Amino acid sequence: MSVRKFLLPIIPIAGFLALWQILAATGVLQPGIFSSPSAILKEMLAIWSEQVDGRSVLLAHLLVTLKRLFLASMLGILAGIAVGFCMGLSQSFYRFLDPLITIIMPIPGIAMAPLFIIWMGFGDATIITVCAVATFFPVAYNTCTGVRSMDHRLVQAAYIMGANRGTVMTQVYGPWSAVYVFTGIKLGLARCWRTVIAVEFIVAADRGLGYMIWDAASYLRASIVFGGIILTALIFASIEKGMIRPLERVTIEKWGMVRN
Amino acid sequence: MGGRPHNQKFKEFWQFIFPLIVAGMIWQLAVSFSFIDVALLPTPSMIAQEFYRLIWVKQTLLHHLGGSLYRLALGYIFAIAVGIFAGALLGLNRTVREMFSPALSLLIAVPTIAWVPVLLVTMGLGDKTVITAVFLGGVFEMTYSTMAGIRAVNRQQINAARIMGVSGPKLFFKVLVPASLAMVMPGLRLSNGYCWRALIGAEMLSAMILWGVGKMIYEARFWNDVKIMFVGLLLIGVCAVILDRILLKPLERGTVEKWGMLSGS
Repeated sequence: MSVRKFLLPIIPIAGFLALWQILAATGVLQPGIFSSPSAILKEMLAIWSEQVDGRSVLLAHLLVTLKRLFLASMLGILAGIAVGFCMGLSQSFYRFLDPLITIIMPIPGIAMAPLFIIWMGFGDATIITVCAVATFFPVAYNTCTGVRSMDHRLVQAAYIMGANRGTVMTQVYGPWSAVYVFTGIKLGLARCWRTVIAVEFIVAADRGLGYMIWDAASYLRASIVFGGIILTALIFASIEKGMIRPLERVTIEKWGMVRN
Repeated sequence: MGGRPHNQKFKEFWQFIFPLIVAGMIWQLAVSFSFIDVALLPTPSMIAQEFYRLIWVKQTLLHHLGGSLYRLALGYIFAIAVGIFAGALLGLNRTVREMFSPALSLLIAVPTIAWVPVLLVTMGLGDKTVITAVFLGGVFEMTYSTMAGIRAVNRQQINAARIMGVSGPKLFFKVLVPASLAMVMPGLRLSNGYCWRALIGAEMLSAMILWGVGKMIYEARFWNDVKIMFVGLLLIGVCAVILDRILLKPLERGTVEKWGMLSGS
């Protein structure tokens, strides 16, 4: 059963790669535009071992992007949880901010980038701010939904048993809304990742995965473009599987907040 | 259920608009009574003037909006059609699902915007690229939601229908489809959001497009015209809300909510 589960998904992916390789080798696909899996692997290994200032080129691009992702998502998540909690606890705060968030939330980060370029110039400040804004909205929205869904009998019960306001916040509201907060963080992180790559396309700094893809595309270096796209997928999938899932397991699943 | 009374709707509308008016007034006063350069942060009244100018004097705004909505509609409809078909395949057949769902989760992880450089090279710098990007933005989410929707159908409902002699196409259309709509409908709304974001991003990056809201914002960059940017951003936000709340939400209300499929949330 587990062998089957492991082997079956490999068939379409391997088949696709083999077909691609064959089509590229026989010249059906233009090599300059579509490259081939083996050429992509070779090119990625080449820029991995290529050194500039004593550091691997590919690694330098990756680290810069991950640093931006980390800073922006931290800022966005913290601000989002804070504002979301306030909105969840205060009805008037909610009434005031809800329409604003509804209007601003669908605006993609890349569309805000030109505005922030004028305000903050080309560089890390613009990229991190835009991505933090993109992260903020899903987190705030979901946190607020979670706090508002609070069963008030539980709050009253906690007060009756002598809990003070701080305890109620951390021991009652916190775990209750954690499931929603995690949903928000997952959505926010996904949006942050998308936005980092997108904003790196136009806020052309000199480093970053998005910059690498865009730069390679303008020189028609297809291997790097495809390699970069594959990397974006792999990195995000491993962030989700390697960081968010374990974090969920030790918090909300341990607290018994997820019915599965 | 049925139609809600008229004043209820008016009250909801007013509750939505009033905070926006207050925020606009605070913004207006804050900018005019401080030393903020209006070339960097224009007041709402200046943005409104620019909006008026773009609609009536220059008459370009509606062309931009029309171009965008046309691409959105084409890409979104293709994404729905393909996504529902592929999702149904994945949901109904276990082998197909086990084969393709890891590939699907990898494809979902690719930022849609990352496809754009490839599309620009393979499909040119025009409409085709943008429409394909919109399609790619929505199709994977649609596939996933449809698959999840079909998988979430209660086995007992299917067995009950079978015992009562329902099978084949009738089972599919009368039992599976309505039951899975509980997740397909939210999928429709989600992928609309993804398509909308992919649209704006792709429009900004495609050089040969004349009209499009994304293009308008991107072009404003060359003149550092912050007012046009704000008009564009607000337009994006308002249009997305209108699409979601006025077109798709009633669709959800008219189907799955009416049929009692959603556990009260």
